[in-house]
Order: sequence, then structure tokens, then C-alpha cells
Amino acid sequence: MWQRLYAWLDERLKLSPLRIALLDEPIPGGVSWIYVFGSVTLFFSLFQMITGMFLALYYSPSLEDAHASIRYLMEEVPFGRFIRGLHHWGASAMMVAIGLHMLQVFLYGAYKRPRELMWIVGVVLFLLTLAFGFSGYLLPWDQRAYWATQVGINIVGTIPFVGDVLARIIRGGQTLGAMTLSRFFALHTLFLPWLLMLLIGIHLFVLRRVGPAGPWDEARARALAEPFWPKQVAMDAVAIGIGFFIVVGLAVGLSAPLSDPANPSDTSFTPVPEWYFLFYYQMLKYMEGPWEIAGTVVLPVLFFLALFLLPWLDRQPERRPFSRLVVVGTGSVFLVVVLVLMSISLQETASLRLADAAMLRGKVLYKELDCAGCHRIHGQGEAVGPDLSYVGDRRDRDWLIKHFRDPQAVVPDSTMPAYGLDEEDLNDLAQFMLSLKRREE
Amino acid sequence: MWPCGNERRELCMQQRDSATEVRRSFLGWLIGAIAGLIVIVTGIPLVGFTVLPALRRRSQGWVLAGSVVSLDSGIPREFEVVVSIADGWRKTTRKKSIWVVKDQRGAISAYSAICPHLGCGYRWEAEQRRFHCPCHHSFFDLDGRVLSGPAPRALDTLPVKVEDGQLLVMYKEFKAGTSAKMEL
Repeated sequence: MWQRLYAWLDERLKLSPLRIALLDEPIPGGVSWIYVFGSVTLFFSLFQMITGMFLALYYSPSLEDAHASIRYLMEEVPFGRFIRGLHHWGASAMMVAIGLHMLQVFLYGAYKRPRELMWIVGVVLFLLTLAFGFSGYLLPWDQRAYWATQVGINIVGTIPFVGDVLARIIRGGQTLGAMTLSRFFALHTLFLPWLLMLLIGIHLFVLRRVGPAGPWDEARARALAEPFWPKQVAMDAVAIGIGFFIVVGLAVGLSAPLSDPANPSDTSFTPVPEWYFLFYYQMLKYMEGPWEIAGTVVLPVLFFLALFLLPWLDRQPERRPFSRLVVVGTGSVFLVVVLVLMSISLQETASLRLADAAMLRGKVLYKELDCAGCHRIHGQGEAVGPDLSYVGDRRDRDWLIKHFRDPQAVVPDSTMPAYGLDEEDLNDLAQFMLSLKRREE
Repeated sequence: MWPCGNERRELCMQQRDSATEVRRSFLGWLIGAIAGLIVIVTGIPLVGFTVLPALRRRSQGWVLAGSVVSLDSGIPREFEVVVSIADGWRKTTRKKSIWVVKDQRGAISAYSAICPHLGCGYRWEAEQRRFHCPCHHSFFDLDGRVLSGPAPRALDTLPVKVEDGQLLVMYKEFKAGTSAKMEL
């Protein structure tokens, strides 16, 4: 049946040359698993567009409604949690895919003449992907979104001379608010997708005109060619399938986070960006005072300049990685630095997150046990027992836990009852006590 | 798999194509299976996500109307109820009117305060002992039956229950202008 339908369409639309151009294009050196990442990146950009389109059905880009609409979507709309999970993890998958794709092109020297244009368009596509990530992060208008975006825009603000104006343009005004949210929404759902589609079109057009680069061994590239269909397509499909099912698994197992609604007056919140910005976030921590501008302006500008100019910085026709030691070595050092910074940051933020969760549970416990019936924190509660406003400065964890277990063992004349808490509760309550300090370190 | 050199590459590739026809059909099947799986795993949730919330009926729980201890039998009284309305993520409350009647045996019934003809508010005329809708002059008796006028059906009764002298009502609205009582 499909064959007859195809024949009918082919007779009218003359599809055969198109099919030959799209599917039968020879791949120099033959098909390979190393070539799958471009297709995987393309798949995830389409995947993000489709899931994003559907999320927009329930999203309202206004300060009053944004957070509530996402909470509604996750809690009351059938499959809402799953679809948001797909979009959330799909963004991460897209980053991984584009990263691996660029790495492959870099390692194979596939950006060299005559493929400079494809590389440049690719770098712009990478920038667009980062812009998608940054603009999408704000949309839930929760604490994470608000504070991380605040920091992100302030980084732009440190650029000499034009920083302030740029930050205002991005924010849509002096402060992060309604104007920013509409701007980011328009950018994320209207401006960027059009630009992305256009540039993907150009990227693929250039690919079809100059053809894929193939292996770095020119003799091997000349010796053998295989058509794109069906083996390379099948390999691409398998890679896409694996990526897709990882994202589905994550969407089912780990729902996309939604913290409390954005609260500009709550400065105790520690913003953490999405994992793909973590290395940069960590690097900025080491750059203080006069060095700050190196991290916020100089290094990013140099990095992207180097990326754009790569085909001219590394211009010999030689594509073998071992013959391009300076370029490949620089790239490897950069990659190692990124991974190290990322793992340091992941460790730090993970302990921060765990401590936060325990602290919050301890706070709930404090309320449940009615500790305020005897203790006072910043004027709240009775003054029967000691004031706990700054107890974190006076006591350590061991003392607190021993004391909760058996108050009289530590303070003989204490009138505080032993509550018979289990290990986890003891730890959570101690964590809350330890957070009560004069000043965050 | 044999290599195709530059000479006569096209012919070589064609020959190889026919030799690997079986492999081709397997790969085609594999590609189709992966694509199909992706379409199904995302497609079904996306359709459910889009369609199901639109089909969901609003459920309205019991709302408090007030004390009916002092209500005299045979004399209707208008009560205000506060109804919470969920419009997606927006939860609002709105005040709605109902008429409450206690009959000779003490049984209580409540009517929606909206005339079933075209949706005006009607009132109780104590002297004539009837409900009168001023828009098109429909008249109803104490039991809600149509006495005269264009109203196509009796006043719309609402589910009620009394707990500790407090009247609870399940507020609903009905389509105006039809002889059958159809919930909105």
C-alpha cells in the first residue's frame, strides 16, 4: 500500500531525485556510530519544540499566574508531570547531544575548509541552545528561576560601558519582573524557535552541498563510500531511541523541579543554575574583585571568538588528531577543566541541597513538637527555655543531638523533656538549629 | 560488505544494494519500529494532556447556606452561598443566590435563583404567594411549578441537606430555555 501511495505521489511530485539527494548521499569512508550525534541533536531540537508547544497550552507568562499554572499542570493535568519532565530532561539531553556532536566535529577536524560555514552556523546554533536553556529556566517563576536569572543578568551587567544598558534590555527595565518574564517567554517560544529552524535549515543545506567530512584518514575516505540510507539512518535511529528512552526514564523517575514561587525579598535562597552552566558558575566563584571581569567578560568572549575562528586558527588540511597536537591538546585541557569544575560544583551543590532539605524538615519538626512553647527565635515563641535565635553559633551538631536525646545528661537542671526522636529526626532538628546563625559564612 | 572505490562507484553501490536487500528490509523495519515507539510513547500522553482536562466536569461540593432554624414554613427566604469556582489554576469565589422553602412537614428544598426561562432573577410576591420573574412574567408556586408565563419548566431544585440546623447546598447551574433540566 505504501509503495502504491509513494508511486502516486512520485508521479506527481517527482520525489525520486529528492529521495536520492536526501537518503542516498554517499558517506565517505562508510557509515559509523561516531556520526550519530548530529541526528540525535536534530531529534532533540524537534522533541523540545513539540513538547514545548504542548506545555504552552497550560502556561501563562504573567507574574501572578506563571507559577500557579505550572503547579496546576503538574498536579492536575493528566500526564502533565510527565510532559514537563520530558521537556526538562529533553533540554539536558539536547545539551549532551550538541556537546558530543561538537566534540566529534572538533576531534575529526571536520570544521576545516570547505566546511567552515557549517561550523560557524553550528556555533551559532550552540549559542541559541544556551539561550534556550537560560530563557526557559526563568519561566516557572519559582525561587530557583528568579535568583538564578538575577545572577545571570547581573553577569551581563558587569560588562564595561555597555553592561548596564544590556542588562536593562534583557530585563526589559530596571528590575527583574513582569517585563522580564514576558520577554523571556517571547524569546523562548517565538524568537528563538524561528531562528533555530532557519539555522538548522542552513546547517543541513551546507551539509548537503559540501557533503560529510568522513574519516580523518583521506585514503580511507576515498577508498569506500556507503549511502546514508539505510545503515547510517538505522544507527542514528538506534542512538535516538537510546537517548529518547533515557529521557523518558528520567521524566518518569525524577520529576522536573518546581520550588516555591519567586520571592524577591527572600535573600536566603542560594541559586544554583542548570548543570550545564555549573562549570561556569564554579569558575566565577574563584574570580573575585578585579578578576571578576575576566570571568564574566574576557573568558566567555575569548572562548566564543576561538570557536568561531577555529577553522582559521587550525587551517592546515591535515585532519589527523595526532598531527594537530596544539589544537587537540588545547581542546582537551579545556574539556578537563570544564569537567573538573563541574564535578566540584556538583559536589558542593549536592551537599547544599541535602543540607537544605534536612534543615527544612527540621523546621517542620520544630513546629510539630511545639518547641516554640518554651523557646524563642527572633521574638517568636515563649521565653521559658533558652533563646535559640543564634543557637547555631554556640553549639555543634554532636552537642545538639546528645541534648535532644537526653537533655539532662548534658544540662543537669534542664526541664526540657526527651522527645524520643529517631536518628533522622534528631539530625534534621540539629540541622535546623545549626542554620540559626548571626551571619551566613 | 565490500568496499566501493571511486571507479564505477554508482554501479558498485547498486550491486551491493540488491545483494543486501534482506538486510535493508530488516533495517527499514528497525527504523520504523523505533520511530513508531517514539510516536506512541509521546503521542498518547500528549493527546491525553490536551484533551482530558477539557472534558473534565467541574465537581462542586457542599457549601454552607446558613441556619434554617428560624425559617418559617411556607415563607421562602433568599440565601447567599459562596461558591468556589476553579478556572484552571485560577480559584475564585463568587456569591450566588438560592431560594429556600420549608414545607408544612418541615422538609426543606432549595431553588436556583435563576429563572429557567431566560436566566433573569425572580422574586417572591408575599401577598399573591407566588414567585414572579419580572423579565417575561413567568409565575411559579411555592413548590416551583409553573403557574403561567413562558417558563418551559419548573424552578430548578438543588440538592440540600441539613446538619445541626445548618443548610448545606450543592450549587449548580442549569441551561435556560429548555423544557428538560440540563446541568451546565
